[in-house]
Amino acid sequence: MTAPLLEITSLSKYFGGNAAVSDVSFSVEKQRIVGLIGPNGSGKTTLFNCITGYYPAASGRVRFCGCDITGMKPDRVCRLGMVRTWQRVKPLAGLNVLENVMTGAFCRTRSASEARKIALHRLEMLGLDNVAQKTAGDLPIGLKKKLELARALATGPKLLLLDEVCGGLNFTETQELLEIIRGIREKGTAVVFIEHDMKAVTGLCDRIVVLKSGEKLAEGLPSEITSNPAVIAAYLGTGYSHA
Amino acid sequence: MTKQWTGIATFAALAASVPFFLGDNPYIADILITMLMMAALASAWNIVGGYAGQFSFGHAAYFGAGAYTTSILLTASSIALPLCIGAGILAASLIALLTGAIVFRLRGHYFALASIAVAEIVRLTAHNLEITGGAQGLLITDITFGNLDLNSKEPFYFAMLFLLVTTLAISLLVRHSRAGYFLLAIREDQDAAASLGINLYLWKNMALVISAALASVAGSIYAVYIRFIDTSAVLSLRLSIEIILTTIIGGVGTLWGPVLGAALLVSLAEALRSNLAGELLVNSGIITEASPIESFLKNNLAHAHVLVYGIITVLCILNLPKGILGLFRRKQRT
Repeated sequence: MTAPLLEITSLSKYFGGNAAVSDVSFSVEKQRIVGLIGPNGSGKTTLFNCITGYYPAASGRVRFCGCDITGMKPDRVCRLGMVRTWQRVKPLAGLNVLENVMTGAFCRTRSASEARKIALHRLEMLGLDNVAQKTAGDLPIGLKKKLELARALATGPKLLLLDEVCGGLNFTETQELLEIIRGIREKGTAVVFIEHDMKAVTGLCDRIVVLKSGEKLAEGLPSEITSNPAVIAAYLGTGYSHA
Repeated sequence: MTKQWTGIATFAALAASVPFFLGDNPYIADILITMLMMAALASAWNIVGGYAGQFSFGHAAYFGAGAYTTSILLTASSIALPLCIGAGILAASLIALLTGAIVFRLRGHYFALASIAVAEIVRLTAHNLEITGGAQGLLITDITFGNLDLNSKEPFYFAMLFLLVTTLAISLLVRHSRAGYFLLAIREDQDAAASLGINLYLWKNMALVISAALASVAGSIYAVYIRFIDTSAVLSLRLSIEIILTTIIGGVGTLWGPVLGAALLVSLAEALRSNLAGELLVNSGIITEASPIESFLKNNLAHAHVLVYGIITVLCILNLPKGILGLFRRKQRT
């Protein structure tokens, strides 16, 4: 069996005395979609920040593509092939949409014309080509979320970490985006995505990891997770465990 | 981008033909040389301040490093002028790299603060060392370069123009290459930039060194032109701030903003210094030469150009966040 693409071993992170992430382990195989779910404050985004080098982890290891990337700077992590998007979108507000995506594309090429080509391709893929010249800061939230995704994809990742890309989107937009994520996986990129929308997660993911209060509550196939009493209790309260 | 290259070429050609129309007018020539110098300095600052968004409040240190290195080498040895300028570039780059290597590990306003501190250290060092002439400064008594007449203003006009055009060309190249996209990304959002694989530390240092190297050449040319330098002329905090104001008033982060800012502020300073307003009022017959208004203007306005700078800056920041160049841009887009 080949080594998994991403392997997280007993990762912990404390803020003061609070364990935001506590002894979490899981791994992501190539070309898989893994959903990361959990109630608010369960440590999902903190986990992303630890994996991608924005926070130093208190303990535990992160291995990616066979190398130990624990404590590595975010820019090096990205160049290795793991890129993340932001729950609170971070567009390069003063630049236009095309320039935003080109900035990502420069991760894999020095040539401006090559970067432009990659960027235009990504914009087309996400249906952003008609707003290419718009200033990124002026876009509505739905398009900003798509821009995050286009820009991250332009870096040519092996693994994409999506932090609530569907948050704030309406039903049609969400469906559209999930379809795009499926397409990304078809092309060989693995995806870990944080999501609140249980329906979105179960329809799309190969595996699901559930966090609660920083600890891993459950991990398994979508069907196992949705029927897991502990997960139902965490989401809906104990009274619903047999519903 | 082609349009902007044409712009630079046109500007170079027009500016190069100015001396032929001007004839021999040392007063105007001196103002134009100052203008070109401030434009070059502001453009150089713009690479790190405008593109990368890292506000340096100590660019006088790089200007002064060039001026002092060139002056010292010229007076103490027979090293050829281009080599002296090269040594100035090295000195300024070294100061820039030392500052950047330490301070760019931190984010936020630390760089702005540290740049002031470093510039003050450089100024005080130059003020107290023997080799830099201490408080008396340095005098270049004797200098030749090829068969150029270094007593006339013309070589310096062309030297400053060459530096400005080079700075503009480098700015344009940087802006439209990978480096430019990275610098702009750093300015817009450092977390996002890092998440896209951009090494913040490396690229900020790169921008600062390029900017410092260009500023040092301006200092070297200035030293040979004026032939006398001291710390208040080439290392003052006031110079650093004038460079920033020139860029902000013209249009920070744009190619032509710094040039426009320099043209406006240098002519404004000169108009105030020479009491142009008072003279105009007298000549148009509104006030008489002996009137109290005229003497008030003469006695006060001449020293008030920094105050007027300040007022213009405040007005610009409040109403024109993209500088005066932004006025034209806005109309163009809508």
